Amino acid sequence: MKTMDKILRSIKQMPAFPVTAQKVAAVMGNPDYSIAQVVNIIKYDPSITANLLRICNSAYFGVRHIGSLHDAVVFLGQENVLRAIQVSGISRFFKKARGYGLDGAELWKHAVGVALMTQIISRKISGRDDSKLFTSGLLHDIGKIILGEFVDDSLRKIWNLVSNHGYSFIRAEEEVIGMNHADVGGRIAAQWNFPQEIKDTITFHHRPDLMGAGDNKFCWMVYLADQVCLMMGIGGGDDGLAYWGLKEVIDLLKIRQKDLEASIIELMKDMENAKELIALV
Amino acid sequence: MSPVSTEDEIMAEIVIGVSDLKVSSNTDDVLVTYALGSCIGVAVYDPVVRVGGLLHFMLPDSAIDSKKARENPAMFADTGIPLLFKTCYGLGAEKKRMIVKVAGGASILDDTNYFRIGQKNIMALRKIFWKNNVLINGEDTGRSCNRTVRLHISTGRVLLKAPGEEAREL
Repeated sequence: MKTMDKILRSIKQMPAFPVTAQKVAAVMGNPDYSIAQVVNIIKYDPSITANLLRICNSAYFGVRHIGSLHDAVVFLGQENVLRAIQVSGISRFFKKARGYGLDGAELWKHAVGVALMTQIISRKISGRDDSKLFTSGLLHDIGKIILGEFVDDSLRKIWNLVSNHGYSFIRAEEEVIGMNHADVGGRIAAQWNFPQEIKDTITFHHRPDLMGAGDNKFCWMVYLADQVCLMMGIGGGDDGLAYWGLKEVIDLLKIRQKDLEASIIELMKDMENAKELIALV
Repeated sequence: MSPVSTEDEIMAEIVIGVSDLKVSSNTDDVLVTYALGSCIGVAVYDPVVRVGGLLHFMLPDSAIDSKKARENPAMFADTGIPLLFKTCYGLGAEKKRMIVKVAGGASILDDTNYFRIGQKNIMALRKIFWKNNVLINGEDTGRSCNRTVRLHISTGRVLLKAPGEEAREL
């Protein structure tokens, strides 16, 4: 079987995205939602319930001593419940993953790092956290879960293109394997019926400049968060920092270099506060 | 360049995380730091007393957050490097005998000024060493790859590993 067919088949065979997360997001999207409604969805998913209780006491969410699902939904608040549920649901896909010289735990650490960084950027730009952006951060590299084994097999070929022929890692993936991890990720997101914005953000997270017209700020924020985590080696793998730096991001997001360095310090603190999230995988 | 022997793999490893440093005079120890992206790993070693240390710093200049620098000096080049040397002196090392090797400071491709943390880290490190008359004995900086660095306290050997390459001595 050709490599491309193998990749496409692996995407098709990905387990479904936990419906609990989608259902909670839908219910909470209605301003009149009740706590009971949310609890009633979550409680039938034992794995998400257990994870939620485990991580909602983390310092990152700023609340302590939560013992029941009901209390979690009450005290965490809407944005935090959504973020905690996405963490619980998405983490399961990383458990058996490996690739890019990393195990699932390191790939997951990178996903959480990028998700946390998107919130720091979002707070700087719009003054608030954003659970959709957080989800995009968690999922941006989901394609690596499928593409990992193919990249591991061709690593020397890929690095040869990067080191000696001026390729970015993602373009080298395309050349050697026939597909890159962002495309694979976009296809997974489509299969999981994620909104267009999240799907496009995953597909273009290394090249938001190629997205075309429209408000692409969302994708640029994930792009910047990813670049920061790559520079800091957070879940840093075989692809390293071999991606294009796009200076448009400065004007688009209006974040100065000094702010960026301060944000990195903030990220390290958030990573420490969110260690329960990172420890899920 | 020399290949890594299997004995290197079986020794006890002490991991140095981001913004951290450790020193040792125990010849069974191997100090290791993983995933150096734009961050820089500084390995120092005094072969006479067999004392060595490894620092993994993150940013060039502590002026950006002096409170953080007090809490965690190893986060920045200008506070971490002096602390690394001083901690080794505490175990009997002497500056004039110190062998210094550095790795990391990688950058995003086609670097704009914006993503220059790797270069800024390299420049900050050179400035500090130059001011203090410290020579760098081995170096692998720049490029766009993550690196792992190991310092063997028994021999002072510093081994460098980058993806798609054999491990080699620095």
